[in-house]
Amino acid sequence: METDRVNDKLQQWLDRCALATGMFGCSIRLPDGVWISHNFNDLCPPTAFDEILRRLADALSTFSAHGFAPRWLTWTFEKGRLRVARRPDGLLLALASRRDSAAANNLDLFTEDFLTLDLKS
Amino acid sequence: MTTPAKQHQILFVDDETDFLETLRALFTAWSKNTWHIEGAASADRALEILKTRAFDLVVVDVNMPVLDGEQFLRILARRYPDLKKAAITGYATEERRAACLASGAELFIEKPRTAEGLKSIFVMLDELVTWKQQPGFQGMLRRVGLPDVIQMECLGRNSSILEVQNRQLSGRIYIEDGWIIHAVAGEATGEAAFQKLLSLAGGGFQLQPFEPPQQRTIEGQWEFLLMEAARVHDESPPAPAIEPEPPSVAETQAATFSVRVAETLICSGDGTLLYQWQCADVNARIALLHEIAQQAARVGELLPLGKFDRLEIQLSAGRAVAQAQPDRLVFVQIATENGN
Repeated sequence: METDRVNDKLQQWLDRCALATGMFGCSIRLPDGVWISHNFNDLCPPTAFDEILRRLADALSTFSAHGFAPRWLTWTFEKGRLRVARRPDGLLLALASRRDSAAANNLDLFTEDFLTLDLKS
Repeated sequence: MTTPAKQHQILFVDDETDFLETLRALFTAWSKNTWHIEGAASADRALEILKTRAFDLVVVDVNMPVLDGEQFLRILARRYPDLKKAAITGYATEERRAACLASGAELFIEKPRTAEGLKSIFVMLDELVTWKQQPGFQGMLRRVGLPDVIQMECLGRNSSILEVQNRQLSGRIYIEDGWIIHAVAGEATGEAAFQKLLSLAGGGFQLQPFEPPQQRTIEGQWEFLLMEAARVHDESPPAPAIEPEPPSVAETQAATFSVRVAETLICSGDGTLLYQWQCADVNARIALLHEIAQQAARVGELLPLGKFDRLEIQLSAGRAVAQAQPDRLVFVQIATENGN
């Protein structure tokens, strides 16, 4: 089934992201609102991560109301960085990483790869 | 007088530093010094180096941690379409070869286990680096201003040295973690040197990797330093025109787009306006900053991430940075335009 194949591809892509040192949560939301993958550690329990993702996804809409159309947002805190990016096809990526880690230093590269990931081939 | 032969600039990206050092020593000798080799132990380090200098060839290890070689090759192909790329791996498979070539590599090679094998790789890479593409469309304009670059370095919390020079004056501006900490221009140091460098009417500048200066002569927020520089510049008589200097190779490669500050807003923590420039709706922008502060506070309640620092907003033609701290609200938007 086409959906299964796309989901498998996204799952594999997320699995590679999750290997980055310092990544403590990553997930992709499908256009129908379903989150297909989560990866956690103790710092980022599933319930908290779900709630944060929902809030950050909503924050993207806040910017539309102010005339901005963000390709991605990066929230930087003292100890962590959160990245939210949306593709034109509606897929939404959320990455949570420890600040100053290999994962945090590569957020732009992961995002760039996600935004241009070919799901048709 | 003989003209020295052109040195090919080669960047190896491999997390095995011993292997990198072996290659550097052998290939430099075999090339009779016609190769200049740089090494990077990770993809992000390689991209930093690529921002500062032009290279003829990048050789990427396929099995790197964090961002693997295929992903990195795709990014290189998008960002540097004219750069020659080779992939190297200790575990070659037909599937991997196809994936690397599809991701933009011109050459896929297996890591050798003997000295003879290394020699063949050198020959293959030398062929690739000396191979000339058909001349095509080229030509770029340098339209990025010094204040824009300083602003981007500070907003990105980067550490770097800006080397500024023209025919009358040269100097350096030191930026550490987004703070301007030192400047020197001729005999002058500190803010006086900073103002002098920003008042130059022409010349060139290059970003260099950060090294700690011998002294720190500047304190205070970069926003106010730039504002003061703009004020001094506005109140000074016009500087004599200086013939523009030709851009360096690295500048030519890096300057594919122009960058300009599109909007700046600085308020006190309670929202009292301190400074604004080209902000179409001040009240709406302050409201947005308050919303950002609220969102960040809610995230902070759910995750123990510490104090909120900043929000970066990547736009299709630029980016914006918002800081919502108890003592200040700052919003800066930068617009980029493709120069091609």
